[in-house]
Amino acid sequence: MPPAVQERLLRLQQLQQTLQSILTQKQQLELELIEIDQALSELEKASDDAVIYKSVGSLLVRSEKSKVTNDLKERKELTNMRITVLGRQEERLRSQIKELQEKLQKDLRPLSLPQ
Amino acid sequence: MSKRNSSSSSSEEEDMRRLAVELRLLEGMAESLNSRINLLNAALTELNLANRTLEGLEKEEPDTPIFVPIGGGSYIKAKLEAKDEVIYGIGAGVAMEKTLKEAREGISNRIAELSKTKTSYEQQLRQVLQRIQADRDRLQELADRIRRGAGARDVRKAARGTE
Repeated sequence: MPPAVQERLLRLQQLQQTLQSILTQKQQLELELIEIDQALSELEKASDDAVIYKSVGSLLVRSEKSKVTNDLKERKELTNMRITVLGRQEERLRSQIKELQEKLQKDLRPLSLPQ
Repeated sequence: MSKRNSSSSSSEEEDMRRLAVELRLLEGMAESLNSRINLLNAALTELNLANRTLEGLEKEEPDTPIFVPIGGGSYIKAKLEAKDEVIYGIGAGVAMEKTLKEAREGISNRIAELSKTKTSYEQQLRQVLQRIQADRDRLQELADRIRRGAGARDVRKAARGTE
């Protein structure tokens, strides 16, 4: 296989690995977002004087509904922002991978044709 | 004729490449579904344990001596102070005080929700595995056909060489 094609293959593998890691991070953040939304909806149903605890490491510290709600809303905003950034990176990587795959298909076609 | 043969073989090779890519994607999908099912199973085991614990505590009187697990198969002796004050985790590192009945209801709802999700993932996994099997069969079939085609070409070439 010509060195240029080998280099392209290597680059493709690297891009695919990066994409995989971006997808994993995005998936984790999406799960975190679902959890935050569920917690917010539970808090919404609770009365204002409900006893709320926030976990700090392995401890539970007593807090207030309004404070915890605000914290969660901030976390939600931040998580959404990070998901958007990762989404943009994902899109860019996918188009780079597609472009590289097309080039490689062209590179490899003459090699696979019967002599 | 030979042109037709070579073009059909090249389209078979194209099919093989497409199938190989699809297979890799499907295998990744199956792996991800499997790991999600494992996570759900772990969460369900934990929730069922919490449910059983609350169910058991429901029948106990206040001040009943209990042993609280501290990990590593070890326990410390304690007394059940208030069985109707349960700290119930609502996710995202937040917990709420609830009555035992409310906590049990919440846990049962979560068990039902997770079981539903698990059933849906298992169904998806079955479909993906079926598709993987079908693709593998087709790939094998194509590989055999290409091998037979290459063999026949070699025989023709050898025959021409002896003329």
